[in-house]
Amino acid sequence: MRNSEMKVDHPVTAGLVKTVLILLGATVLGSAGAAARAEEPDAATKMHAQKVAVTVCGTCHGPQGNSTQPKFPRLAGQNANYLAAQLKAFRSQSRGDPDAIGYMWGMAAELDDDTIAALAAYYAAQKPESGPHADQAAITRGREIYDHGITAEGVPACSSCHGADAHGTQDYPRLAGQHEQYVLKQLGSFQSNMRNVAIMHGVALNLRSPEMQSVAAYLQSQP
Amino acid sequence: MGRTIGEVSRNFSALGVLAAALLAAAPEAEAVPSFARQTGMACEACHTVYPELTHFGRVFKANGYILSNVKQVRDVTGKKEELLSLAQTVPLSIMAQVSYTQMKTSVPDLSAAGAPGVAQNGTAGFPQQLSLFYAGKIAPNFGAFFQLTYANDSGTIGIDNTDLRFADTTLLSNNSPLTYGISLNNNPTVQDLWNTTPAWGFPFAASNAVVSPLAGTAIDGAFAQDVAGLTGYLFWNESLYAEVGAYRSAKQGVTSELTGGAGPLDGSASNVMSGLAPYWRVAYEYNWAQHSIEAGLYGAEFRLYPGGAPGAEAPLTGPLNRFNDVAEDVQYQYVGDEHQVTVAGTHIHESMTLDASFASGGSANPKNNLSTTRVWATYYYRRKIGGTVGYFSTTGSADTALYPATVSLAGGNPGVVVSANGSPDTKGWIAEVNYLPWLNVKISAQYTAYNKFNGAGSNYDGLGRNASDNNTWYLLLWFAY
Repeated sequence: MRNSEMKVDHPVTAGLVKTVLILLGATVLGSAGAAARAEEPDAATKMHAQKVAVTVCGTCHGPQGNSTQPKFPRLAGQNANYLAAQLKAFRSQSRGDPDAIGYMWGMAAELDDDTIAALAAYYAAQKPESGPHADQAAITRGREIYDHGITAEGVPACSSCHGADAHGTQDYPRLAGQHEQYVLKQLGSFQSNMRNVAIMHGVALNLRSPEMQSVAAYLQSQP
Repeated sequence: MGRTIGEVSRNFSALGVLAAALLAAAPEAEAVPSFARQTGMACEACHTVYPELTHFGRVFKANGYILSNVKQVRDVTGKKEELLSLAQTVPLSIMAQVSYTQMKTSVPDLSAAGAPGVAQNGTAGFPQQLSLFYAGKIAPNFGAFFQLTYANDSGTIGIDNTDLRFADTTLLSNNSPLTYGISLNNNPTVQDLWNTTPAWGFPFAASNAVVSPLAGTAIDGAFAQDVAGLTGYLFWNESLYAEVGAYRSAKQGVTSELTGGAGPLDGSASNVMSGLAPYWRVAYEYNWAQHSIEAGLYGAEFRLYPGGAPGAEAPLTGPLNRFNDVAEDVQYQYVGDEHQVTVAGTHIHESMTLDASFASGGSANPKNNLSTTRVWATYYYRRKIGGTVGYFSTTGSADTALYPATVSLAGGNPGVVVSANGSPDTKGWIAEVNYLPWLNVKISAQYTAYNKFNGAGSNYDGLGRNASDNNTWYLLLWFAY
């Protein structure tokens, strides 16, 4: 057990306690997010957002949100509430992973709430493409971690929040088909708290690099 | 800031155009933090390392430098038409280049005619160049890249690379973006999106205190800041690019003897374009994962009256010199977080029909040809430390009048800037290492090695100077804010 702060002696018990705490936190956050759901944008805002999405965002994220560059996350089929929350976090400069600072703080700086809602709706409506299949052994190991977590290390099952199919919920992001490299970078940023999300920090803290890679490889391969 | 074709022709009597090209093509190199202020994005969005563009940077340029993520001062009509959209941050930047140049062998000292001596070797440029930019949005679909430069060779401030753009993007029925625009610029290829073409190609910076080869093609910087061009372009799906346009002489610092004003141009001006010079460009770019590959063609045709200079006027009538340039370019980029790799190159072929110069004795042949090839490979680690190795070659038909064996300076022939055999051939290598302590500060050490210079490897000037005597160390501190 690498988390020296845990006071519980038995590693499996410690893992279970931590998992329960994380899931509890996630449930509270999930219901809080659901209360603040975005309103449906009007037709003009929708059209404007579509143009912005294709001609501005699309240069990195792909015109329909299926980016080919692993540096830039795939947004097609992403959950609207999650997208809107991220855009607002970029705008308020509260999401602090390196590419958020270098790219998205600027891009989101002057977005208004209506445009954010319309952009989020645009991407949520796009058809996601699944990524390439990497190493099959990594995918198999990744699925195991995704579905069941690593009890001994206090890593909860990813599926408990992100869904068995990794399509997420209204408030938790879709991960299926996401670039392996992007997922890895985010897990690293959660771990280091550069991207400051308490729940994911707790999840990522005890994940070793090969475990992260396996999960990321699995997610990229999912439809 | 490059010397103009006119200045050079005063040194090289009759023709000057061809001799001018490489001299005129003193490197132009810019990095513009005002874009970063306007977009709120880091340099790496648009550049691998400045001034080389990424895909995003190319799209930003095609869209007219207008992407703005800062608060605006606005005015609108009742129908929500934008009348005004001014960024609250003025898109100004400054750039400085401080350099030191050391040639392998110094050149003759011409200050004391008849007395043998050599010029001091080791030239400090402080600054070599100091520029002020307005680079960014002007109005909702109108942007500018506008540069004023003080250069230590002229000792004056003058207009440098300028590219004014109107651009917009529309969505086609299949949801693919089509960008269309107009560029008003003063240097053929300064408006181009890829760092393969002459205005923005490698070397991105070079010394202005060295011996430059005699020959260069016309599109290779010969008309930089000496023309006005209007081009229209389409950029479909951020991949297929097509552009056509035309250039016309727009002389700087030339005064009409009759009106005392900037025009109309008369026979005291040199290398004046007859009518319009057509310019064209097609390119295709494909991007996948961290990779980007581009291949393209570009070209122009320049028809020039040789003209003259004050005191040696020649009327702007009669036969012309025609330069038809056709070029290919390719580029591969790998842009990752850790590693950045670029391999790029261009090949320019020029056909000259020198009716005017041949008639006046300015060229020994009625027709000549000239080809320039440049290829280079760049690697950077974390945009922090890296380097480039490049090969360059200019070859063409020999012409003893165009590339003369003697030059009359200070009452004698010092050699150095001549070609004993009338050949324009120059070949060599450039290698440089760069360190960027911050993304807007670059420290470079560059070495240029010539295998051949103005037609020969050894004794190219007939007075014992070898090509390698012109090898150059160039140290540069280059920053922009």
